[in-house]
Amino acid sequence: MPYPAKLNQIIELFETLPNSEKREALISYADSAMRQGPKDGETFDLEDVRKDEECTDSVGVFLKISPSSRGCTFRVTLGPHVQTLTKAMTSILCKGLDGLTPEEVIEVPADFVPRIVGADLVRQRSQTVYYILTRMKSITKVWMNRQRSAQHV
Amino acid sequence: MIDKNYAHPDALVTTQWVSEHLSDPELRVIESNEDILLYDTGHIQGAVHIDWRADLQDEVIRDYITVERFSALCEKHGISNDTTVVFYGDKSNWWACYALWVFRLFGHTKVKIMDGGREKWIAEGRHLTRAVPQFAHGHYAQIEKRRDEEIRAFYDQALAQSRGARPLIDVRSPAEFRGEVTHMPEYPQEGVLRGGHIPGAASVPWKMAVNEDATFKSHEELRAIYEDGAGLKRGDDVVAYCRIGERSSHTWFVLTYLLGFENVRNYDGSWTEWGNRVGAPIEKS
Repeated sequence: MPYPAKLNQIIELFETLPNSEKREALISYADSAMRQGPKDGETFDLEDVRKDEECTDSVGVFLKISPSSRGCTFRVTLGPHVQTLTKAMTSILCKGLDGLTPEEVIEVPADFVPRIVGADLVRQRSQTVYYILTRMKSITKVWMNRQRSAQHV
Repeated sequence: MIDKNYAHPDALVTTQWVSEHLSDPELRVIESNEDILLYDTGHIQGAVHIDWRADLQDEVIRDYITVERFSALCEKHGISNDTTVVFYGDKSNWWACYALWVFRLFGHTKVKIMDGGREKWIAEGRHLTRAVPQFAHGHYAQIEKRRDEEIRAFYDQALAQSRGARPLIDVRSPAEFRGEVTHMPEYPQEGVLRGGHIPGAASVPWKMAVNEDATFKSHEELRAIYEDGAGLKRGDDVVAYCRIGERSSHTWFVLTYLLGFENVRNYDGSWTEWGNRVGAPIEKS
């Protein structure tokens, strides 16, 4: 399955970078992770803030869906102990999945992660890079289930 | 301040000591972390990065690099046989202790840990840089073979330790020890099929050895934990283990350098080997 256009742009950029620049780009994305949280005055359709037992720190995922286009906007808050790679992936996903419909979000395959990060950086101890995508899909599914339930009432 | 009652107080240095010795040509500072990109976000000026996996482990076999590769690694970072190496890192120095332990496997004995690690350095507002230092190649005369038999235990030796009722220290969390979970708290599953502990092992979580600021507890406090609490005695042949050997490296450092036990081995195969091994005896409690 093809990747969404915005995500694909990021993937293609990373694939052209030598390792040292790839690391710099990841650090740059990680640096911007703290700006991916909710902005003042923003409201959301769903909010899911929690600390899972398998995760180092709390992660909050906020979802807003445009009533007209059904495009998703994600905001994410991260606790201070989250690993650098996970921070980078947060920024990448907030940008790469922006505007997708809920159905498109659910379909995004996770196999792009090594293409961005590089296979040598994806290890068992850094599997949490997949965690943010899982949380985004999870909140999207909840929204879809609620929509379905509402339609059947 | 470093507790002078430690068995080898020179093996531990303060952040202040490191900041005062950054331009010492006989010294090399090494950062070793769990967070793969942390060094790139900023590190102590002049510190080089050694990655526990990419630099210290063989890429194919679950083992450490060869003596040839270790010499080349040291030379690349300007480390010679007589260079004093100071390790620090994240996670209360887990990986710093692991890297130090691996350096000891290769016979490098001029090693120190920066007490409190990266957390303390940052908490004190000390300077970090993203500039990666370049050093002139050192000359590292390689040893004949790794000294596994001195400070490393393998499965058969851990099994013999268990059967012989000799001291085995499980440094994982209590829930891992009891077999209630097969992952570390706050970590994903790392591929272990069975939970529990090696029969006869005593549970002494690594974290008992550190203060809130990631520094090591005093000699007296450590003695109370490991000798009074866990019943270890001077002269004991001790084996420590965790999941993959990094937390037990931390305990190995405490027992060896801070308390002065002379026969401590780190079973780095640890639970990811034991808990997957067909027929390995397991105790749950």
